[in-house]
Amino acid sequence: MKRSAVILLMLGLGTLLLPAGIVAQTKSTQVTIGIGSEPLTLMGATIVDWTTNAQLENVYDLLFTRDPKDEKIVPWLATGYKVIDDKTWEVTLRRDVRFHDRERFDANSVKFTFDYLLDPKNKTHYLPRFKRVQSVEVVNDSTVRFRTSEPYPSLLNDISLPGPFMLAPVYVQKVGIEYASSHPIGTGPFKFKEWVRGERLVLTKNPDYWAGPVKIDTVVFRVIPEFSARLAALLSGEIDVMKDVPPQAVDTVNRSGRATVRSTVSSRINYLALETLHPGPMQNVKVRQAINYAVDVDELIKTVLAGQSTRICDYVSRFDPAYTPAVKCYGYNPDKAKQLLVEAGFDPSKLTLTLDTPTGRYPLDKEVSEAIAAQLGKIGLTVRVQVNEWRSHLDKVINRKVGDMFFLGWGPDLEPTATIAQLFVGSLTYSSFGDPKIEEMIHKAEQITNPQANAAAYQKIQEALQPMAPWVPLWQQHDLYGVANWIKWQPRPDEKVWMWEATAK
Amino acid sequence: MTRYLVARVLQAVIAVFFALTAVFFLVRITGDPVILFLPLDVQPKDISEFRHLLGFDRPVWVQYGAFLGRALHGDFGASLRYRAPALPLVLQRFPATAQLAAVSLALVAAGAVPIGVVSASRRGSMADTVGIAVTALGQAVPGFWLGLMLMWIFGVWLRWFPVSGYGNWTHFVLPAFTLAAFYAAQIARVTRSAVLDALGQDYVRTARAKGLSEPNVLARHVLKNAAIPVVTVFGLNAGQLLGGAVVTETIFAWPGLGGYILNALLGRDFPVVMVGVLFTSLIYVTMNFLVDLSYLWLNPQVRFG
Repeated sequence: MKRSAVILLMLGLGTLLLPAGIVAQTKSTQVTIGIGSEPLTLMGATIVDWTTNAQLENVYDLLFTRDPKDEKIVPWLATGYKVIDDKTWEVTLRRDVRFHDRERFDANSVKFTFDYLLDPKNKTHYLPRFKRVQSVEVVNDSTVRFRTSEPYPSLLNDISLPGPFMLAPVYVQKVGIEYASSHPIGTGPFKFKEWVRGERLVLTKNPDYWAGPVKIDTVVFRVIPEFSARLAALLSGEIDVMKDVPPQAVDTVNRSGRATVRSTVSSRINYLALETLHPGPMQNVKVRQAINYAVDVDELIKTVLAGQSTRICDYVSRFDPAYTPAVKCYGYNPDKAKQLLVEAGFDPSKLTLTLDTPTGRYPLDKEVSEAIAAQLGKIGLTVRVQVNEWRSHLDKVINRKVGDMFFLGWGPDLEPTATIAQLFVGSLTYSSFGDPKIEEMIHKAEQITNPQANAAAYQKIQEALQPMAPWVPLWQQHDLYGVANWIKWQPRPDEKVWMWEATAK
Repeated sequence: MTRYLVARVLQAVIAVFFALTAVFFLVRITGDPVILFLPLDVQPKDISEFRHLLGFDRPVWVQYGAFLGRALHGDFGASLRYRAPALPLVLQRFPATAQLAAVSLALVAAGAVPIGVVSASRRGSMADTVGIAVTALGQAVPGFWLGLMLMWIFGVWLRWFPVSGYGNWTHFVLPAFTLAAFYAAQIARVTRSAVLDALGQDYVRTARAKGLSEPNVLARHVLKNAAIPVVTVFGLNAGQLLGGAVVTETIFAWPGLGGYILNALLGRDFPVVMVGVLFTSLIYVTMNFLVDLSYLWLNPQVRFG
């Protein structure tokens, strides 16, 4: 039997059986979170991996974080910053913060963290991202200076995202990196208690958390690799929180009486890239425009994603300062699409295109790609959907082995340098589109440290991009979390599962 | 016997060596893990620098030589993903797999062998028909489907057993049953045909002619002779189970070897893959050896040397 059929059958059966399974809820302040895989390490500032960092964020703190509503950068362990010159940033720090072992957090901790992260010997996965940071200098106990090799306008963005979690210098030097990698000490809301590899990570409340009282006593991250098993665990009460409830299971969860689906607009964007790096029809701008007119994005959102997505017309998310209403959507117009194809010299019925898609990486990615293929079929195109396991999809994109189009997500998208400059310059592989004029505009924008001027420059770039139709911009996905009814917690756009923000009802 | 043992050990070493070598080159054909580790926003230049840092830019023969040199000293390197020595990471996963395998195999032995024997000794009866139908079903149903159904019925709906995870005996029930259902089908069918085969032999006719009762014939003459194919298949199944039941372990979040090695393979965590291959090939070699030894006892005509 096909897997999708099995899932449907299960969900169907599940909905029949569920009302019988309602049990009385007891108040408890242990939150168990079902998560797809265990943390790869418990050392902060080391590994790029959502599941690892989602767990570590509860133990460590960042210098800056994000406002949960509008995703604006807000000081956290820092109190503020000053741009001294193009290549120097000064950051001031809180003075009242201690690590879980009572060690004081100060300028040395910041310097130690970045020295660790930038030392090639430690092979941290953040080394390439922060390569432009030449040094972190201690000015005094509560002030540090970041010196960069070139202007680095997205520095603040990069240090406000999961990654450079502040490490405890005295502790790490005393116990060594290997031990600290399985017994972390941070300044965060929860202290490390126990890590059983492959099974669970147990954290307990830090009663002295500097940012205010922690209201959950224990947080347990339980490894459950299969999403349907996580769903079953949520409905049976074994876990209290899960991420990525499939849109078609939302009703099942909501009717369980035990948990509800809470959603948030993610800062991650999804798009259909039109591959222009290889000779082929996509190198013709009219073909790309035709594809834009032939894909009915609103219909995809309504029918495939059950409404769980927010449309974008820009090449960045709505949280990005460079988001501008000046960039308009192409709009669904199949006749115009056909006409453009003819103008470009193509007979749609003789054109066969390939669409590469991952499966299981983004909400209903494969299903969306199949629906896009069907929509393009309506203007006479034949589209072959090539479904790839995520890691081989990524390989194909990076090594330029994808077909004429591919589906990809990018996020968190909160800042244009980390999105437009990375997508439309240099390798060009994630967008598979390049243009000398756009590249020049990006290189200029990259040097602008003033936030308003920077955003304005990137808005202009997007307006220039739009007629070139490099992609079909699709949407910001909605992250769907299944959360037990007794927990008061609202998910965030940046995928942070931060139990400091949770309380029992 | 000593000569035999020495030969077997040599064979084992050669088999494991070739398994490791083949996998070493095969996993590298698929590319290196560097791009899977770094953030998506990293430039190609930085990717190559990082590749150099990890040593994946060296010719594959040089990497292979370095691997062999270290492996001979028992050093398999550190996991690229987990940044901890690969050998203990894999060994830590073995107890959970071994326990689940033991419980499942016990269920198989207790359930499937009697079904096979009854089925064969009453060939054509209702019991035989039902036995064949049930075992055919057991083998036809995919493990993930059965696992999920059991999970939803006994975990979510009835709440008799935990839906997933590792802990006390209740955690064993659903995954062990899922695994046992598949292997039981196979064993029951092999048992049935082996018993049928033995029932047709001359010595059975002789035993019956001597006036032995049917249960006596079965117990004293048929079962021991029918055991060789059953033990052979059982041994192979045990090898598979001890190497980790990927699907069942994944569905039930069982912290065993199977899912771990698969993940290492997908994430191109080469050191963990190599230790996993070493470990599972050793298990296979050992199980084969044990099966061969059991022939000595089951059939006195078998001689090694």
